[in-house]
Amino acid sequence: MPNLVHLSAGARRALLLAPALIFLAVFFVMPLADNSARSFLAEDGGFTLSRYADFLTDRFYLGVIAETVILSAVVTLISVVIAYPVAYVLVRKAGRFSGLIVFLLIAPLLTSIIMRTFGWQVLFARRGLINQWLVTDLGLLDAPLRWLNTPGLAIAALVHVLVPFAVLSIASVLQGVDRRLEEGAQMLGASKLRTFFEVTLPLTTDGIGTGAILVFMIANGSFVTLVLLGGGFQTLPLLIYQQFNTTRDFALASTMSTILLVIALACLWLQLRLLRRQGV
Amino acid sequence: MRLNRRTFLGTGAAATGLVGLSGLPLRAQGSTINVTAYGGVWEQAIRDCFVAPFEAKTGATATVSLGGPAQWLAQVEASPENPPLDVLIMSPDLAVLAAEGDLMDEFTVEKLPNLANIPQEFTDACLGKGTYFDYGVGGITYNKQIVSEPPRSFADFVERVASGEFIASVPSISYGPTTVFFLWALNNALGGDVDNTDPFFEAMAKMKDNLVFWAGPNDFFNHLASGEADLGIYFDGRTWNHVDEGVDWIDFINPEEGGAMTAVAIQKPKNASDLAWDYLNEVLDAGNQAKFAEILNYGVTNTQVEYSEKLASRVTPLSEANLPPYAEIARVRNDWVDRWNREIGM
Amino acid sequence: MRFSDIALWAFTIAFFVFMILPIAVVVVISFTSAGYAAFPIPGWSLKWFARIFEYRPFIDSLWVSLQLGVVATVASCVLGVPAALYLSRARSGWATAITTFLLSPLSMPMIVIGFASLFFLSALGFGVSFLSLAIVHTVICLPYVIRTVTAVYRAVPPAYEEAAQILGASRLTTFREVTLPLIRPGIAAGSLFSFLTSFDNLPVSYFFGSAQTTTLPVVMLAYMEHQFDPSIAALSTLQLLLAIVALVVADRLYGIEKMTVAT
Repeated sequence: MPNLVHLSAGARRALLLAPALIFLAVFFVMPLADNSARSFLAEDGGFTLSRYADFLTDRFYLGVIAETVILSAVVTLISVVIAYPVAYVLVRKAGRFSGLIVFLLIAPLLTSIIMRTFGWQVLFARRGLINQWLVTDLGLLDAPLRWLNTPGLAIAALVHVLVPFAVLSIASVLQGVDRRLEEGAQMLGASKLRTFFEVTLPLTTDGIGTGAILVFMIANGSFVTLVLLGGGFQTLPLLIYQQFNTTRDFALASTMSTILLVIALACLWLQLRLLRRQGV
Repeated sequence: MRLNRRTFLGTGAAATGLVGLSGLPLRAQGSTINVTAYGGVWEQAIRDCFVAPFEAKTGATATVSLGGPAQWLAQVEASPENPPLDVLIMSPDLAVLAAEGDLMDEFTVEKLPNLANIPQEFTDACLGKGTYFDYGVGGITYNKQIVSEPPRSFADFVERVASGEFIASVPSISYGPTTVFFLWALNNALGGDVDNTDPFFEAMAKMKDNLVFWAGPNDFFNHLASGEADLGIYFDGRTWNHVDEGVDWIDFINPEEGGAMTAVAIQKPKNASDLAWDYLNEVLDAGNQAKFAEILNYGVTNTQVEYSEKLASRVTPLSEANLPPYAEIARVRNDWVDRWNREIGM
Repeated sequence: MRFSDIALWAFTIAFFVFMILPIAVVVVISFTSAGYAAFPIPGWSLKWFARIFEYRPFIDSLWVSLQLGVVATVASCVLGVPAALYLSRARSGWATAITTFLLSPLSMPMIVIGFASLFFLSALGFGVSFLSLAIVHTVICLPYVIRTVTAVYRAVPPAYEEAAQILGASRLTTFREVTLPLIRPGIAAGSLFSFLTSFDNLPVSYFFGSAQTTTLPVVMLAYMEHQFDPSIAALSTLQLLLAIVALVVADRLYGIEKMTVAT
């Protein structure tokens, strides 16, 4: 009998999962499955894999896939590295300024993306504020630098939008870290730095993981910033957007979304596996 | 193909027990129609020039949905039997696709008396299932403070940008109409045709170090205002709108070869309310169109319209613009886009 | 120790200069007296704020967006928190797979989710309506709540809850008195992400706009199709003001430590 009780407790716990699972199965999987059907339908109504074959054997498209993943990874890495110290200050040092910090973090997210991009253009245009400052006011440069449409500025703009997700994810976990563990390590003679690397950092792995996952996933699917700021990147979301906007080739869009989803899921699963292995 | 996906959707709906909910948000039928508009001044002009006379004459109500053509067409495609919209504002290329997809009703003089005053070629350009009601022309817009001797033709534009005399802001491929008012127009001016776009891509290769790309019309204005570019490819009506807003350093030239006519089409989805015909007839009315043109600085299509003096000097006459062969372009457009992606980048 | 503190603060301040600079430009432009958006501004004026209130669709759609953000966030918490509680304690490979699945909406370009959902929900008869918007927004907001709550709850030792139950607390009491306070930072962060994601969303809302329910980003896009006046900048400034008010209210109600630090 105990076995049975145990089982029903497990089943009861699984019920916790049911609403979210069913909701996404109906309102996320079904629409996408329906949509991806477009990619498998041949002109004559039959089943075909030719779109996938064409796509995955074209060097140009393979380059696009690689660029998508690399760009997301670079943005994720930069965001997490920048975010950690800020999250640390927010939780441990800011005190009564913490409200201000949270506000400053979410302010960019509350500004329409089009205006935010406009802000970047004003700052970094050929005759914009930054160039004016560098050339005329400080005399550091002879000629204005070209910033807009460079990969660097596009990456900076992506980090700008996504880094708040990393900061807040890390902060929410750092918040829960038991300070006594750190104090204990120091009492046992560990330096501040060593305490940080051997106690605090491992305890916040989950926060870093969450931040990295959110940033990576969102970067992987985002296109608006790249459309508006250029940078010469050619990514899958940009190509997908183009199918909706210009060519209306929904079958190709659906092919690319399926490929993008598979890549994203593979990366996500890998990240989660790594996190679990770390254990907490 | 439709059938398979429809079946799938039906099965899915049944499986999840949601079929009972079908038909929940039934659209108000009868004396209300849903029309479409871009926002801001445009919406206000639609309400004043077309909605008001329609409501006065029929006693019916027209609600206005704000957004863009791609969204509206998708909404009609998603429920062709019960379209949520009765009148669509379309870009010319989407109008062709919608007509080819058999989603739109035929325009005839019996249903729309004012159609008699609209040049037949505009209705033909929508394959008979819609027509154009206003238009602009894509040409060269420049910053007068920087550019004293602007290029007068597309060919001159290409030469002088290639030589590094100017930085030009041109539309990127992420902007829907680019394939027509930039790619087709420039290619045409340089001697190419629908089946040979080499002249365009060769010109782009020559200019590539001195180009920036705009993703949306506002982007272009920002490029000029912030000094990122000196001139570029843009629309006449939008340029005049900036002048009216108080921008005194901007001007427009219709290139000698003739810019591409970029029109706004109107269509009526199949199964939409018949009241839509009354509304559409108001949209094609000469008096209403003249009022609309005055507000938006764009040319209109009813041949009976007489522009005010100010507007007459601004509107590019139809004879000096080229009507792009949208149906032919639709056939090859995706190849153009693919070539652009590979040679120029997104 | 002093030095490391100074370095940390210097880094943080540099970071916020980077974050705020483009926004500051927008805020300044919203006070321009010119008829167009350009920098530097020729003079100061409040007329673009007046324009927001003159143009009805701005206010109407702002209201729709606020309601939608709240509905999607509440729905995401109701669906997401229980799932997160389960997944944080499950150790099997299945749990990893399920988590992967639950987070997957994040990486799908939203334009695809919007387009696919439009066809699906139309076939179900939901059409273009507030209900459809709320459903699709919940799909894109749910992953945030699940992930943030999972992360926080995994750091909570099970011993706390076990102790409460040993002391005779019921399951419900344990949840209310022990678990909920412990996971509140996760819920707060997830809700914040969720609300902001919904509020700023264009690619999904775009497909579901109608004359009755249109969200603010869609109206802004439709507005800018033919106009680029500084009222869009003024709207952004107004949104920032609303955020300040919301944070101050939250502070008064819950105290800064519980609410803001926790997020």
